[in-house]
Amino acid sequence: MTVKYFATIRTYTGEAVRRIDDAPADLRELLATLAGRYGTSFRRAVFTGDDLNPEIIILVNGRNVLYLQRLDTPLAADDEVSIFPMVAGG
Amino acid sequence: MFGWTGTILRVDLTKGTITREATDPKLARDYLGARGLGGHILRSEVDPKTDSLGPDNKLVFAPGPFTGTFAPSAGRFNVVTKGPLNGVLAASNSGGSFGPELKYAGYDALIIEGKAAKPVYLWIKDDQIEIRDAAAIWGHNTLDTTDLVRAETDEDAKVSCIGPAGEHQALLACIMNEMHRAAGRTGVGAVMGSKNLKAIAVSGSGAVKVADPERFKAAVMKARKLIQAHPVGGAGLKAYGTDVLVNILNQVGALPTRNYQDGYFPTADKTGGESLAAKQLVRPKGCFSCIISCGRVTKVDNPAYAGYGEGPEYESAWGFGSDCGIDDLDAITKANFLCNEYGIDTISLGSTIACAMELFERGFITAKDTDGVQLTFGNTAAMVEMTRKACTSEGFGAKLAQGSYRLAEGYGHPELSMTCKKQEMPAYDPRGVQGIGLNYATNNRGGDHVRGYTIAIEVLQNGAVMDPHVTEGKAGLDITFQNLTGALDSSGACLFSTFGIGGAELAEMLSALTGVEYTLDEFMLIGERIWNQEKLWNLKVGYTKADDTLPVRLLKDPIKTGPSKGEVNHLDQMLPEYYKMRGWDEDGVPTKAKLKELAL
Repeated sequence: MTVKYFATIRTYTGEAVRRIDDAPADLRELLATLAGRYGTSFRRAVFTGDDLNPEIIILVNGRNVLYLQRLDTPLAADDEVSIFPMVAGG
Repeated sequence: MFGWTGTILRVDLTKGTITREATDPKLARDYLGARGLGGHILRSEVDPKTDSLGPDNKLVFAPGPFTGTFAPSAGRFNVVTKGPLNGVLAASNSGGSFGPELKYAGYDALIIEGKAAKPVYLWIKDDQIEIRDAAAIWGHNTLDTTDLVRAETDEDAKVSCIGPAGEHQALLACIMNEMHRAAGRTGVGAVMGSKNLKAIAVSGSGAVKVADPERFKAAVMKARKLIQAHPVGGAGLKAYGTDVLVNILNQVGALPTRNYQDGYFPTADKTGGESLAAKQLVRPKGCFSCIISCGRVTKVDNPAYAGYGEGPEYESAWGFGSDCGIDDLDAITKANFLCNEYGIDTISLGSTIACAMELFERGFITAKDTDGVQLTFGNTAAMVEMTRKACTSEGFGAKLAQGSYRLAEGYGHPELSMTCKKQEMPAYDPRGVQGIGLNYATNNRGGDHVRGYTIAIEVLQNGAVMDPHVTEGKAGLDITFQNLTGALDSSGACLFSTFGIGGAELAEMLSALTGVEYTLDEFMLIGERIWNQEKLWNLKVGYTKADDTLPVRLLKDPIKTGPSKGEVNHLDQMLPEYYKMRGWDEDGVPTKAKLKELAL
């Protein structure tokens, strides 16, 4: 599994991409694992209580998890997860 | 009047006359200013069939009621004219400080008509107006022109001008102000060039009168706090600029690549806002009264592309980047600098070079056509060289400067032009984001994103979310954004203020400023009126339902790689509902009942 970080999320992770050999079962498990690795700033960015932070955008293979199963979105070994803060422009 | 100055300035370059007239309070109330009021002036005074580059076309510089106040990001003005690129009722929106200064000089609009016999510039110092000789300035780029005009007028004057591209009447020419801010789209710079008008310098000593200062202050402070508290308006745009969009559009599979042949570019990250911030950013920059500061002051040290200036925005980074198969940010920024200096639209030129690259790779043109340049996708040096040639209308560049529609049609392959109504589409692939495709197809100025930015909801999760891959609900989404933007553009506010506030906050500030009470519904109705006004113009130009479409590629050729692989745009599922919800007939013509409702 590949996890990619963008914009301010990179300042919390200190890296742009991470390969994970043992894929977690779902997004909740993945984010909990990553929060343990990267610490409080990352945790606050992705979680609000036990739910997703409404100001985080997470894609699994290009699909926003809000259209999948949110934190219960199942993950597989060859998935690509992208994590963005809210961004905009035009 | 409050919010408005009450005066419109008219300059006839043929006769050399300068006159003033009162702003009609009813028109101001119903069309606000900028895009709306300017559009009404043009619709009232110019035949839609007139030659865009002839003396009968007019050029209207118009701020809005917010412009020049301390409302958030209230530095906008519009340049309104019959657009030479495609004949539409063109309104090109710009920031900077030129618009506020025009208000301080006392004007709700500046109407330029006729054609000067020789190059001139206009010097507006409050009520003292001079048409001055510009022989010594003609031929200079926008940076030098600004300096030269200021040296002859006032060092603090705000200057809008054209570069050599406008002088050559390149159909992609823009009007630059404050050196680096552009009224970029629809070729408004060519109209200025056709009138032999090199620049406008303005200095004003007045102020904008406010109907209810305490209420206005309260409304403005509330709006400012909302924007500052928003993750995008308050921090994200300042940190990374609009170019931060490169990665998210790529990750959802909607970053147009190699002239829209694909929607995913594997090395896009090299061109995104994160890379720009790390490599080139000197400092962020805001326009007048801006608390967002999306602008980028940038510096390129790489000797091959060294330079100092502003940009690139997301659209420019895409146009010269993935759309040309290029991931060299230094080269992209250099191309952007050239466009600003010579005064040409980065979106349309980037897309036109991409079109030329596809023509080249498919063998429809050869090095004999391109002045010996191997114009292949990914050829960074060729992209920069073609940008330079287009800026100066040199050799093959003269064809590029007329846009991709004329280029591709000239070589017998108009299907390779990624345009709607002959204007190049920006940086969102409608196969990966359905609603933006409907916006491109129905947009009153052709390929355009800012007048119906459904990306905010379909991709960016800004306030609400809608699945980008579905068509349901997109007609209503498009209409809401198009109407909101019609009113917002006409108010003098910046589109980016909507990353924090909405129509309700804008209506409240407008009411306090002008003394005219606007509800949210009335504010949106103004936007709908303006949208229909532009539609009526386009119908008279000759546009029909057949023009409310997308390039065939986007309807039939699926995206090849990335997250949106296999997707096409389903415009046919959205367009009939769009017409119906607009109150238009099956041919996309506003009904009499709708026009009556809108007082058109």
